[in-house]
This record gives sequence, C-alpha cells and structure tokens, in this order.
Amino acid sequence: MPEEYVKFDLTDMKNFEYDMKRCVRCKGCKWVDHIYMPGATYSTRCPSEKRYLFDSFSAWGRLRLALSLLNGRIEFNDRFVEAIYKCQLCGACDAGCKRNLDLEIGSALESLRIKCVADGFGPMPEHKAIAEKIEKEHNVFGGPADNRDKWAKGIQTDDKAEFVYFVGCYGSYKMQGIPKATANILKATGQSFKIMGSDEYCCGYPLYSTGQIEKAKKAAQHNIDTIAKSGAKTVITACAECYKTLKVDYPKMFNKSTSDMGYQVIHLVEFVADQMEKGTIKFKNNIDMRVTYHDACNLARMSEPWVYWEGKRKLYGITEPTAPRRKGTHGVYHQPRNILKAIPGIDYVDMIRIRENAWCCGAGGGVAEAFPEFAQWSAEERLEEVDEVGAAALITACPRCKDNFSKAINASGDNIKVMDIAEMINEAIK
Amino acid sequence: MGIPQEAYKAMEDIVGSQYITDDQVIAQAYVGRLGHGKDTGIDLEMNVPPAVIVLPRTTKEVQGILKIAHRYKINYVPASSFWISHCAPKRPNSIVLDLKRMNDLEIDEENMCAICGPGVIFSQLQEEAIKRGMYTTTPGGGSQVSVVANHINWGLSPLNYRNGVPGRRVLGGEWVLPDGELLRIGSMSTSDDPFWGEGPGPDLRGLLRGWIGWFGAMGVVTKLAVKLLPFHDEGLKPVGISPHTTLQFPEKKRIRWYNFVMPTRESLVECMYDIGKAEIAAALTKVPQQWRYIAKAGCREDFWEGWNTNEARKSINNIHICRVMLVGYASEEQLEYEERVLMDIMDSYGAKLGRTRQSDNSWIKNADSATMWMMTGAYTSVQVTVDTVDCGVKGGEGLAREKPAFTPPLMDDYGEPGWFQVSEIGHMGYIEFLQYWDPNPNQENLYKKDEWNYIKVPTLDAEWGMFNAFNMYASPMNLTGKAYGPECRKWFEKVKAEFDPDKISNDPIPWDVDEYVDKVDWVNKEDYINRDWSKG
Amino acid sequence: MDLKNELQKIVGAGNVLDSPEILEEYSTDNGIYPPGMPTVVVKAGKSEDVAKVINLANKNSTPVIPVSSGVHFQGCTIPYQGGIVLDLSNLNKILEIDPPNRRVRIEPGVTWGQITDELAKENIRVISPLLPHADRSVITDYLEREAPVVPKYEFAEPLMTYEIVWPNGEVFRTGSASVPGYPDSPAKGTNPAGPGLDFYRLPQGAQGTMGVINWANLKLEYLPKINKIFFMPFEDINAAIEPIYKIPRVHIGQEFFLLNHVDLALILAKQWPDDYDRLSDILPSWTLILTISGPPRRPEERIEYEKEALFDLKKQYFQDMPILEALPGVPGGGRELIHMLRKPWPKEEVYWKNRLSGACQSLFFIARPEDAPSFYEKVVDEAPKYGYPLEDLGVYLQPIEQSRVCHLEFNMFYDPDDPIEREKIRIMNRELAQDLLDMGAIFTRPYGDLADMVYEKATSYTTALKRVKKMFDPNNIMNPGRLCF
Repeated sequence: MPEEYVKFDLTDMKNFEYDMKRCVRCKGCKWVDHIYMPGATYSTRCPSEKRYLFDSFSAWGRLRLALSLLNGRIEFNDRFVEAIYKCQLCGACDAGCKRNLDLEIGSALESLRIKCVADGFGPMPEHKAIAEKIEKEHNVFGGPADNRDKWAKGIQTDDKAEFVYFVGCYGSYKMQGIPKATANILKATGQSFKIMGSDEYCCGYPLYSTGQIEKAKKAAQHNIDTIAKSGAKTVITACAECYKTLKVDYPKMFNKSTSDMGYQVIHLVEFVADQMEKGTIKFKNNIDMRVTYHDACNLARMSEPWVYWEGKRKLYGITEPTAPRRKGTHGVYHQPRNILKAIPGIDYVDMIRIRENAWCCGAGGGVAEAFPEFAQWSAEERLEEVDEVGAAALITACPRCKDNFSKAINASGDNIKVMDIAEMINEAIK
Repeated sequence: MGIPQEAYKAMEDIVGSQYITDDQVIAQAYVGRLGHGKDTGIDLEMNVPPAVIVLPRTTKEVQGILKIAHRYKINYVPASSFWISHCAPKRPNSIVLDLKRMNDLEIDEENMCAICGPGVIFSQLQEEAIKRGMYTTTPGGGSQVSVVANHINWGLSPLNYRNGVPGRRVLGGEWVLPDGELLRIGSMSTSDDPFWGEGPGPDLRGLLRGWIGWFGAMGVVTKLAVKLLPFHDEGLKPVGISPHTTLQFPEKKRIRWYNFVMPTRESLVECMYDIGKAEIAAALTKVPQQWRYIAKAGCREDFWEGWNTNEARKSINNIHICRVMLVGYASEEQLEYEERVLMDIMDSYGAKLGRTRQSDNSWIKNADSATMWMMTGAYTSVQVTVDTVDCGVKGGEGLAREKPAFTPPLMDDYGEPGWFQVSEIGHMGYIEFLQYWDPNPNQENLYKKDEWNYIKVPTLDAEWGMFNAFNMYASPMNLTGKAYGPECRKWFEKVKAEFDPDKISNDPIPWDVDEYVDKVDWVNKEDYINRDWSKG
Repeated sequence: MDLKNELQKIVGAGNVLDSPEILEEYSTDNGIYPPGMPTVVVKAGKSEDVAKVINLANKNSTPVIPVSSGVHFQGCTIPYQGGIVLDLSNLNKILEIDPPNRRVRIEPGVTWGQITDELAKENIRVISPLLPHADRSVITDYLEREAPVVPKYEFAEPLMTYEIVWPNGEVFRTGSASVPGYPDSPAKGTNPAGPGLDFYRLPQGAQGTMGVINWANLKLEYLPKINKIFFMPFEDINAAIEPIYKIPRVHIGQEFFLLNHVDLALILAKQWPDDYDRLSDILPSWTLILTISGPPRRPEERIEYEKEALFDLKKQYFQDMPILEALPGVPGGGRELIHMLRKPWPKEEVYWKNRLSGACQSLFFIARPEDAPSFYEKVVDEAPKYGYPLEDLGVYLQPIEQSRVCHLEFNMFYDPDDPIEREKIRIMNRELAQDLLDMGAIFTRPYGDLADMVYEKATSYTTALKRVKKMFDPNNIMNPGRLCF
C-alpha cells in the first residue's frame, strides 16, 4: 500500500476511509462481547440496529454508506440523513470493534455527521432548534442565561478554589437536586470549589454530537477560555455528557489531545471514590434498597482521554507513529460500583449488560430531541433489564440518562425508582 | 431497474411495510465486502446493491417471499449473519432476505439439542447450552456467525476433536425450497419434533449441506435443530474488560488447557495421533506462530514489531506448540486421569509443558475470526483440508513451498505450513492454510493473490490428492467440481436444474468463480477445463 | 443379444445364475414378506463389474436389486419386480487396514464374522450393532443405519466415505475419498462431508435404491483388553429412564443398552431350550447392561474413575437401582456377555433372534428415551389383541449419541413355516407401527409394509425424495417399488 498521510481530524471524512473499507462486518459493533454474551436475550448493544433492523442503521452499514458517499455512489437524501441521526453515538460499536480490530468507528460516524451538516443536509430540525437556544441563552432549554446558577443560591463557593464545578444545562435548569447534592458532597469532604455561573455555556454536546462542529467549537472555546481565566486546574462535573465533551470532544474539535487542554476533567464518582480511599468521606446512613447501576456511555466506554494523532499509514495499514486507540478499557466503571457497594444497606446487583457492553439509555446523539419515541424505546429495554435483575432502583451518573429513564417510567407506569448517584451519595452522607 | 411494483407490494403485504424497503441508500449497506472472501476478486468485482431488502420473521413469510420471487423470476439472496462473500447479491435487481429477525432459540435439555432460527448466533447458543451443562462447537467462522448457516456449510474448530464434524450435528428442520415449497427434514418429516436428523429413507441432509454446500443457492433453512453435547457442570466465568476478556475456568479440575512445546514438527504430529488413540482430551490443536504474536500484540503495530524479527522468522521451524484441552466430563478424577495419560505421551516425545492460562479467550464461546484481518487488513484461508492429520500436514508443507512465488502480494509468513488440529478423537486431521495481504488496490501484482487463491492452490491440491473441498466455493467449478468425485459439479447442476431451474436462488452461486475468472486475463482456463483428473 | 449373454460378458458365465433353485433362493429372506422371483442372479467378482451391470440394466430398463449380506430380515432384497439380483458377497476383500488413522476400507461383501477376527489381530474393531449375524454385511448394516451398541462417541456414525455406483451408472467417491488418484493419495477418506454436498447421506437408509457401494471406509476403535460389566436389574421400565439419560452423558462406559428378560434370555441361554426357559423365569423384567473398558494407556485407572463416577450418579439420581457385577442365578453371572458383545453372533448357532420360534420380526424406530415407556405400554396393550403372548415379546432399547435419543425395538417371534402365524405377525407389525407412528415414533428406515404409511405421512419429504431419486435414477432401476418409488 502506498503511504498516505492521515490525521484524526474529523472534519475530513477521508481520514477515516481506511476504517470504512476495512470493516469486515463481524458485527462486534452489534453483539455484546461474546465472552459476556448472556444468551438468547439481551445479546446486542446497538439500540439503532435493534430498533430499525436494516443494516443502514448499524455501524457497519453506516460505514458502508459513508464510503459510498465518499466514492460518489450515493448522495445525501432524507433516508440517508435519517439513518445517520437515528443513532445515539453511544460508542458501543467503537468499543466492540476494537475488541478485535483497530478501526475508528466512532470517529468515522462523527465525521459523517460533520460532513452531513457541512453539506447542508443535517442536522435534524430539532437539533437546529436547540442550537438556536444554545446560541441565544447558552443552554439547551432556552432558559435565561442568567438563571444558570440559580440552583446555587445559598451554597458557598470559593473563587480561589482550584476546582471548578461544571454543572451542565440539565443540572442548572432541570434537575437542580443533582448540583445541590454534588455541592453538599464536595462540601462534606472539605473540597472547595467554584462555579462559572452564567459564564458556563452549554458544553456543546448537543452541537458536536449532531455534527454542528462550528457551533460546538464556539461554545467549547468559550468554556475553555473561562476555565483558563478562572485559574482552575480541575473541572469536576456530575454529568457524563459534559464530562466526555470537556475531556474528549474539546481536544478532538481543535485537533489537540486531552493532556494539552490545561485542565483535568473528573466526574463526581471519581472524586468520591478517591475520597473513599483517603477516608475523607463516610457513608453514615443506611439505605435499604436493591439497586443497580447504569453505565452512562459518556462516562464509561467513551470516556478515555483523546490523543490527537497524525502520521503515515503504510503497508498493511501500519501507522507511523503508532496511532493511539481508545478501546473503552479504561472507562469509569469501577468507581460508581464501589461507591454504591460501600453504602450501608444497599444490595447492589449488576445488570446483564454492563460497562463496555452496556445498553444506552437512548437519549444521546440528539436522539432524544429528534426521535423521542426511539429514545423511549431504548430506555424501556434497559428498564426491562433492571426488572430482570430485580432491582428496585436504577442509579446513573448522568442527568440525561436519568431524564430519559424517568420519562420512560412515567409513560409506562413502572415503579422503578431512578436516581442520580450524586443524590444517592448525598442521602448516604447526610 | 428494480423489481415489479406488484411483486414488491405482494411482499410488503406478507411482512408489513416496516420490514421491507427498496430504498437505494439502505441498499448500499448490503453491498458485499463482508467476512470470508472480502477483498478477493469476486468481492471487489461482482457485488451489486440489492433492489429490495426484506426481513421475514416466520417460515411462512419466507415461503411467501420465495413464491413471489419464483413467480416473477427475481433473484434472491438469503443471509443470516452475512459472513461470507457469497451472501451479497451479485445480480442486479435482487432481493436480499435478511434473516436476522428469525432468531428463536429453544433448548431441548433432556434430548440435547437446540432448535434455532437462522438469526441465532453461536455465542448465544453456547451460553444457553453451557448454562444447562452442555456445549456446542463455536466454529472458526466466529461466535457471530449463524448457527444454522454454519452447520449447513462449515463448522470446524478444535472442539470438533470431541464433538465431531458439523454434519453429524444437523438434525431435523424446515427448509424452504427455491420455489417456496416447504420441505420438512429429519424427524420433522413425520412429526413436529426436530430432535432427529434422518428422514425416512435416503437422507436429504445430503442435499442440504456438504463441504461446502449451497450458500443460499438452494432456498432457505428457516429452522434447524442442532445437536448439543454434554459438558461439565461447573460453568465458566467471564472476566476482564474489553479487549482483554476471557472465560475463567472453575477452580475444580473440570477443564484445563495445556500448552506443550514439542521438539519437532514431526513429534507434534505424532503426539496428536497418540492422544487420539488414547481417547483423551476435548480439543487438540497446533498453535501457529503468527497467532502467538497476535495474542501478545495490543495493536497491529505491536504485532509487526514482534513479527519483523529474526526470532519470529526462526520460530516457524523451531517452535512447535501443541495446545490440548482436557475436560473432566464425568468428574475431576477423569481430568486427573487424562492428565496423567497426556503427560505420559508428552514425556515420551520430550515435550515441555509451558505456562498456560486457565481460561479461554477463543474457541469455547468466543472465536475471534475478525482478528484474522488485524495484521494486514485482508485475509482468507486457501486450503482447508479435512482428512487424516498426516494428509493435512503434507498439504500445508507443500503449499508453504509454493507460496513464495506469490509473496508479495501475500504477506511473508516465513514458510508457516499452516494451522492443524484433530477432529473426532484422532480419526481426522484438519489443516487451514492462511493468507494475509494488503488489500490496497494500487499494489503491484495484486491479482496474484486471486490467482493463488482461486487457481493455484486448488490445482495443486487436486494434483496432490488433498481434500480441499472448501475450495468448492473459492475455485472454478470447472476445476475442483470436475476433479473431485469426480465431476461432482454435474450433481450441483442437476440438483439446481431440478429444484431451481430458473436459477433465482442466489445466482450465480456456486458458479461465481467460473464467471469471475472468465473475465480476467490472468487465467488460462484451458489448463483445467481440458484436464483429465481420472489418474490423479 | 439377450440380457443373460450381456451379463455373462461382464462377469463371466459362471457368475450369471438363473436356475430355478437359485432364483428361488434369492426370492425370499428370513422375514415376513412373501417371495418375489428375480430374472437372473449376477455375482460380481470385482468392483468394476458393478457399474457395468448397472449400465446394462439402464439400457434395458431392468431392475437391479443389490444384495451384500448372506442374511436378510426385512424383505428389502426381495425382487418384487423381477430383474437382476446383484450379489456382492464375492466382493469381500478387506482392502486396507490403516491403524494409525484408525480406518478400514472394505468391500460390501465383508461380513461381521470376517472383519471382527481380522481386526482383533491388531487389537482394533469396528463398533458393531448389538450381536449382528455373522453373515451380515458390515457396510449394509451401517448404510441401513443400525445403531452402534456403544453410544459414547459424540460423532456416532462409523461410516466415513465410499465409492458408489450411482443408479445412472456413474462411479463416484464421497467425502475426502473423492480426491483425484484415491486411494494412492495423501487423503485417505476419513472425512465424510462433500465434495460440495454430503453425498454420503443419500444412499443411507435407501435399501439399495440409490446405488451400489463398491467399498467403504469405516472408523476403527481400540479393542479393550480390560473390561468390567455391570447389570442394572429392575421391574418397571420407567426406572430405566434416569440411568439411560445420565450415564452416557458423563462419558462413562462402552456398550450400554437395555434388554427385557426375553431378549436377554435369548442371548444368554447356552443349552436350548432349557437355559432359555430357566433364564426367562429368573431374569428381572429389565436389565440395563453397561461395560466399562480400559483403553490402551492406564486402563485400570480409567476403569476406576468411571466406576466411581457411575456410583456417584447412582447416589445422586437412581439410588434404588442395583448395580451388579453378576446377574444372580445366571451361570457365570452373565459376565461372558462382555466378550459376546465384541463379536457377531456365532455362526454355528441359530441366530439369537431366531432361537425362540425360528424367526423374528423386529419393529423398531427412533424415539426420545423418555418416551420409551409409553411406546412400550402401547405395544403391551395392543399385542394381546393379535393373540401375541406378552411373555414372548422381546424388547431392546439402544441409547444413541450419549442417550440423546434411542433405538427402540420390539421383537416378535414366530414360526416361519406357519403361514398363518406369519401373516398374523405381519398384520400386527403393520398395525402396531401405525399406532406408534401416530404417537410420534420416528421410522427412519421403514421396510416393507411400513414404507407406504411412513412416506404418506412424510408428505413434503416424500415429494422431494422422488425428485432426487429421479435425478440419480432416471430409469428407476434400483430396487424399484421399495420405498416411495
């Protein structure tokens, strides 16, 4: 193979042409890791393929469509755009593929969305509406920007703190119990922190994940500058989407690496797990409940640091220097489980599909906005799994997951309780 | 272009509008480039998008679709897991029957069989079987392949050492013939119970499967019972995080792997014969050197760093690894007994027992077939001989001598004579000769990989008297179909003429290679068309 | 030129027989079906003759009835439409014994009597059905899917590959024997599959309707030197089910089967009829018989762990089942059975199934072991209606494939010289078969009267079978009228 120069730059789909061509349709992107295959049921991990069935709704099919687009065999049309966006970008395919091969599935799919928007065919109208709200009020709900820190009334923050708590739109506007709990937890451990108030813009996940990279970059740049200005070295968040966006997508958008960003991003569960080791947090209250934990995709298999790469691809596809591969091995998997297991009274049980094999709640990638019925369908499948293991409560570490599960429960009348892990921890330390 | 509107409408009425599409964007997702045979000439040159994709749920729906196809003379391609290049349409205006919705799985625990729809894959079945103290053979094709499809055309793996070749595990079922008529085979011919494979009189399983069978060119098997085999009852525990996941063996001595370093290749072969004769073990295989380097590598570049060394080059002739799995089906005592016998045998050859992890990443439940593409981006097996161990080894050594003339474009594997293993407790040996290459079309002489694959290897095998009938699907029928049997091609033609005279069931399979090589300039067809194979 | 002359040209004058006595001899068998006269009998002297005879028969549209064994029980060699009886008994060479690859290649006339002794010299054997007749063709038994008496092998079938003359006269080799140059080739013919299709399946259960085998490769296993035999006696057939399912499933034992007191007494009786009378009185209603044998390496240790595992199973699943090393009241405790099972029934003695009345009609089928008691009950309910004494009903259950399924056989004994009794048995056989078929019995090789009822029920299978038959036998010359064609 003649050498070619490629880079992990998502604005040019050609950078991922190799990955598109080299997919062999082993469907590692669809099935639960065969070692963990639970049997005839709960055996897949791609909501899109299970819901819509045709191969165009799978990672392997989308790669084929992207390749056909690159080669001029097809052009964007409504069905194509629909196939692109009926996907949570949950990363299950990417981790599954890298079990056996070294293909950049996730990036290729993101790149396809960026191309779709750049060519004027994407995103979906609902995504554009959210982009407008973000542009105007810097949050996904369109609420007044000035209301962003309303939840923090009466909470003591420290402008000199090295920790900045990035609250996110859902915490700030819709689920204020989560930031309140988070603040309490930080306080309980003696960790001072500050918040960015109305200077905190939507992290940009709804923009980036729907291919609106230019708009996402604006939001990102603002937040990066604000963090830099604040002098904080650590950004803590209780939202998995914000976590992954700040940690992974920001560097990705600017062709940088996570380590180049000048700040470290941690999720509340990482912080609490660390405090548990140090002995600075105590779970005093008994919570008698059988609970299970839902791995939010963005905190779990998609959360490994981004390492920008450019270089040569040579004979046999060998990269030089060796391209880094994020395989989902080092996601934040153990910390939330260790926390829950340490809370007295809790009877912890894992679901059938966990960690890198987890089934997405259904909300991500702009699905909840553009295809709410699909988002609910996906959540319902996960809730069946909760029932299957006999858990009374479902704990997650992402407000978007909580929101989507709650909607599904409201619609179905199920009696499963959904809680954010910050709320659970807060209950335990009160 | 496309199919008649009334045909589409009729199929839509059968399956419902959400399970059928003629959208040409969706169709692009079904254009070839899949699994075994990917990036070979046929895959690159012959695949076309389907006109319609339909997702049936029941046998009745499949019958309905096939009857419509028959009425309108529309070519159709049935596929379950799409893991071989035959399962992509090669004729314009074809229907793809994507069978993924036909995923019912029922286990008959008492009588040790599983009744599967074509959408059921091996890791699903294996898990359900292991839960009940049984197991099946997860084939080299991979855990992700269809249980039904694989049983009717392939199914080789080291577990066949105990479990037997797959043809013996095919039981009763439902087979929709090319014209849509339903044929119930085995015990289903006279009852609703598929637990037994033989029907009354001549066994029509002989028409259904084979080595290598029809690949959808003889209708659709919509339900098949397959035999399960007894396993131990301690279970296997999945551990680790991707990509380092594995099945941990129980502490009780009920299952163990052993890796032996044998002094010579000859001793590796001889010990396999001895192990078979002693009637011990549950799996028995040689470990090719490349696989060891793959296993150690975190990525492709790691592999090449290890492989591009003198040590690797020398390892082909200096390191001979025999991997043996023992299972205490009855008890721990059985395993201990077999271990003593195994050690007696291995000691007699001066073998050294190496460090062996007591877990399984591959073969029992997971078979990483996709990993084969990791090294170079393209792979295929050109020789798959099943006969005696000795026959397999000779074939591999012979091909290793011939391969340098085709390297490059083939990857230099330093003369590796192939992967061999034993089936049916030593009654059979099995070799697979593996090729890797860079599929980038701009390379010089890339056509030679097809020449090697489609023509050279099959010709050598037939000349040598090797049973590489796997190549029945990867060589011209005018070559292997003529040489083997002899003239087994005639029977394919007769069967097809009787049951599918209009050739609507996955045409041009199994004559696709003939059709392909007709169009290329690097094959002298006269060489094999006029050849008299009767004297060998 | 007439048929006889043409045949003589092929096999030589001495091998074409048409004297009335000879034709008479080939017109019947040891079963319940009426005779049918052949036109001519041809004794093939070499395998090349077979294709020539079949080609000639095709030219003349003459039926060909292949006969390999010296003994037949089910009527499938009776030439009801006349024609050529192709006697293969002179094709009786053991062509190759290949101990390293545990394979033997034999011609169709090779009998159990012949092969067992020859292989025993090398401490190897072909696993046989239960006590086959010494004159039975080994190939015929496995082409006709007789159940091996050892159910422990996962890959149950001993037949591997063969050379066949298809009904259209073409010679074809199956599986890995299909390689050019066979047998002087590296491939030795141990893989049954292919080439392309599993051709080896088509002549199975075909009663000679799908061609004639010139030779076949069969699997060899070691002949154990050290053995133990266990008897599990009991009175109610339901008690058999647990041990039948559990024992082979954990890889214990070699020969394993169930006999009722009638069949067991027929086998064990030495002095006829005294021993039989005594044994049939004292033997338990049912006996499960299991042998445990040592392989060539560390045989005693193997027997030891298998024995231990057997008693563990008993403790866990069938505590009340006695496991005895000798049958009480039986001379030698019945232990000689272990040696009997490794050989065909002695040629010099009346075949065990014929001892009681001179002949036996076996009604057999495939079933789930768990269903065996209900099939048995049905036969017990019905047999007296035909005036058949239950005390003379033989029952044999052979677990197959580690007891996944079983071969269930009812043996009905009769006097072959009494035409009324013979007819009575024929009616009973037919009507019982219909009852059992309705209950779900799987008749995979329906002989004689059973063919019509089974093929009629197997509608789609029968239709397809006829199409296949037409492909291979366009003139319908091979054993016509036998199955559904």
